[in-house]
Amino acid sequence: MPLATLYCLRAAKAQTDIYVLNGKVGRKMRLGKYIGKRVTLAFFTLLIMVTIVFFMFRVIPGDPISMYIDQGLDQESQQLMMEMYGLDKSVPEQYAIYLKGLFVGDMGRSFTYSKPVAEVIGERFLNTLVLTTTSLMIAFTVGITGGSYLAWHRGTKLDLFGTILALIIRCAPVFWTGMILLSVFAFKLEWLPLGGMTTVGSDFNSFFDKIFSFDFLKHLILPALTSALYSMATPTLLMRTSMLEVVKEDYVELAFAKGLTEKQIRRRHAMRTALLPVVTIFAVQAGLAIGGSVLVETVFRWPGMGREIVLAVGARDYPMAQGAFLFIGLATITFNLIADILYAYLDPRVSLD
Amino acid sequence: MALLDLKNVSVEYKLSNGSLKAVDQVSLKIESGDIVGLVGESGCGKSTLIKGIINLLPTNGKIKEGELHFGGVDLAKISKEEMRKKRWKEISLITQSAMNSLNPVYRVGKQITEAILQHENVTKAEAMEKAEKLFDLVGLERGRLEDYPHQYSGGMKQRAIIAMSLALDPKLIIADEPTTALDVIVQSQILERINAMLSNYDGSMILVTHDISVVAQTCNKVAVMYGGKIIEYGDVIQVLKYPNHPYTMGLKNAFPSLTGEKKELISIEGTPPDLSLKLEGCRFFERCPFAQDKCKREPDVTHVDSGYFYCARSDERDELRRLADIPETWDKEI
Amino acid sequence: MKSAFKLFAKNKVGLIGLTIFVSFVIIALFANSLAPYDPMEIQYTAEGGVKRLMAPSSDHLLGTTYMGRDVLSQMLIGSRVAVLVGVISAVCVAFIGTNIGLISGYFGGKVDRILMGIVDVMYGLPFLPFALILVSVLGPGIQNVILAIVLITWRNSSRVIRSQALTLKNRTFIEATRLSGASDWRILYRHIAPNVVPVSLIYVSTSMAAAIMTESSISFLGLGDPMQVSWGRILFTCYSSQAMFKAPWWILPPGMAITLLVLSGYMMGRAFEEIANPKLRER
Repeated sequence: MPLATLYCLRAAKAQTDIYVLNGKVGRKMRLGKYIGKRVTLAFFTLLIMVTIVFFMFRVIPGDPISMYIDQGLDQESQQLMMEMYGLDKSVPEQYAIYLKGLFVGDMGRSFTYSKPVAEVIGERFLNTLVLTTTSLMIAFTVGITGGSYLAWHRGTKLDLFGTILALIIRCAPVFWTGMILLSVFAFKLEWLPLGGMTTVGSDFNSFFDKIFSFDFLKHLILPALTSALYSMATPTLLMRTSMLEVVKEDYVELAFAKGLTEKQIRRRHAMRTALLPVVTIFAVQAGLAIGGSVLVETVFRWPGMGREIVLAVGARDYPMAQGAFLFIGLATITFNLIADILYAYLDPRVSLD
Repeated sequence: MALLDLKNVSVEYKLSNGSLKAVDQVSLKIESGDIVGLVGESGCGKSTLIKGIINLLPTNGKIKEGELHFGGVDLAKISKEEMRKKRWKEISLITQSAMNSLNPVYRVGKQITEAILQHENVTKAEAMEKAEKLFDLVGLERGRLEDYPHQYSGGMKQRAIIAMSLALDPKLIIADEPTTALDVIVQSQILERINAMLSNYDGSMILVTHDISVVAQTCNKVAVMYGGKIIEYGDVIQVLKYPNHPYTMGLKNAFPSLTGEKKELISIEGTPPDLSLKLEGCRFFERCPFAQDKCKREPDVTHVDSGYFYCARSDERDELRRLADIPETWDKEI
Repeated sequence: MKSAFKLFAKNKVGLIGLTIFVSFVIIALFANSLAPYDPMEIQYTAEGGVKRLMAPSSDHLLGTTYMGRDVLSQMLIGSRVAVLVGVISAVCVAFIGTNIGLISGYFGGKVDRILMGIVDVMYGLPFLPFALILVSVLGPGIQNVILAIVLITWRNSSRVIRSQALTLKNRTFIEATRLSGASDWRILYRHIAPNVVPVSLIYVSTSMAAAIMTESSISFLGLGDPMQVSWGRILFTCYSSQAMFKAPWWILPPGMAITLLVLSGYMMGRAFEEIANPKLRER
């Protein structure tokens, strides 16, 4: 039986190879295979991460039981929870229960909120998503245009100033920038609110009503801007470097010789190729931003996943901390996967083996 | 009227510590239908000169002086926009390293039609038809237009570039070392292509190269550059058989004989002059086996049947030519 | 090697970075003598009141905090943690990353797949949350912060070093050495490793920058070592006091110090980049 399977697989591979030789169909097929490979790897990574987290939380000095069960509960409830979570069973069995739980979305119960972790995360995740998406869009739009502009005017004072500025912002701690912006715009000038996501006491009909309300946007500006400023530096500098490389290329010179206008050349030839590394960075940056949202959300008291993990860790709410971490990890892995696939798709030169 | 008439053109590069005169008072006349070879060692200014003609110099380069008359218009005086319109339509370029001249993220066909659509008011389909015909001309499969540059071999890329240069039937094609980056066998294939193309083409060409054999195979006129100046110009057979300038004589010796007789190859000792320094007199002075005191002054032009040259000892040229064939003449102490 | 040093000396950016870095190291080394007060000591006025949120004066060059502590002293002593964490993390990360990269790239095969597989998995772990969890589980000591930083950061350098090792492996001089009977380990460490050093140095510098940033982030979130004075913690106290708006002398110096030190790391890293990759030099 296994031999037959092997033969079938070999035949399938041979088929794909034939398509590959044909050239035209080749690339689409290989892309599919490549995506398959990367997805499998991502899934595997996720599994390993889940396992690492499982064992990490068992390293707590002291009673591992306190990991899952609130020590504040009475004995009876504790006993009940122990049975529910199988904490009286062996480690491998616990691991199996843990995995099964994750599969159905059960990440335990938060000590602080007395709610299922999954429920709390659900709300928080959307908040983080909105903040991260907004800030990244700003960061990349400004970064790409800025970077290509700087590169085009390379050597001028503007270029020097812009590059140094970008570098300095990248080295400044994002929470510090946030604190300063908060002090200036929220406190001194009182243009914008001091934190949080909405004004206390306000009520909205639905999630979408909320995020498009003026109140929400007012609260969103500062944290999004702070985060964007920090994230902006990398795409700007990267785009600039990339453009500088591309501008030296012969095909750019040929584009000039062909009589194209500067704008056409910059957009069509220079930026298009220069964008490749930046686009991949976008997905990677997104992954990093989700992890880094911890800081901005704390400064601005934005009720997102990042802030949640800090609160949970501080309050020793282990199920919450674990759940939040897993979720952030999932987001990171997903974004890395997207980055891999995007790059392979966009650059026809990338070998898909 | 000449198609291209360069009068005393000088091109200067600004460096961090001074300036470099890459092209020094060059005058050149090209008639319609001429295929002119532009030869010289690396750094003699030939690439700079052609970049100057189409005004594609890097930011630190500038046409310091001179007139570049092309089809009656002085290219040095027209606006950037007007020059842009002329590019490709009237003057096109075959680049040196086709390896990198095609943008890797666009299909080759698109890059060719781009040039066409920029200057002609045609539809995309019409432009693509033209591209197909061009590919036929250079011997590439039409289907290949849909491919990306990295799917082409070196020779194919060069042929695609050649095809592209013909797209708008320009009056002048400038070929910048079109075969240098290719291996020998492909080189001769490409040269054949170029020759075939030229027989069907009634415009002019400037073929820049450091390889005399290429010039011999393709051109009808040749200009020899040294130290930023054109030191000899004339009909290709005349110049190569009976060179007038010592440098040309030296060049001829450095290549295997065109007529096939076995000969010892003689090389010219030394290196080209440093053009960032202010130079007086004959540029070839340091390396010339016939240098004399009178060569320290700027030599005057000597006109001959098919061209001209600059040498202080012009009247002795027949004697010098004879001496140049002897290897010992070139054993000069530098 | 010597030529590498010469090149570095010529690199303006690298030199500036180095100067800044060395200045901080000197400050850190002499912080105890330089600091005018004990950073944790509450300062009192002559009348017995706490010197709360005082603007900079001749007594307190950088003013005082909400709790009445001298900011300048805090800044000076805080440099110790920054430099310590930065340097130790950087060295560890570079060491681990380089070795793994070398082994992976040179030996290839299963070893390579396993090691790079580990790296791939590490990339899935979000940096700061992981550090937070680790610190919360193991305790807020400095060594745990360093551990967290090192565990995650080595992944970056290993990939690059690996590809360097791969390219070098196939160079002819390695073939020659192999033919002369040298063992694999000898080849790896006597011949390939030295060539990889410039790239390693890049990661030493950039890891240092990242480490300092991470340490201050963890401290800012209140999860750092409460016994240690660190710039991040100063900002934590500043933020928690809700008085940050009123005290620019308290809010600005720690952030600026962090920025400068991190900047120096990146500047030196850039210099090493240009040394390792000559193409970059002609900009």
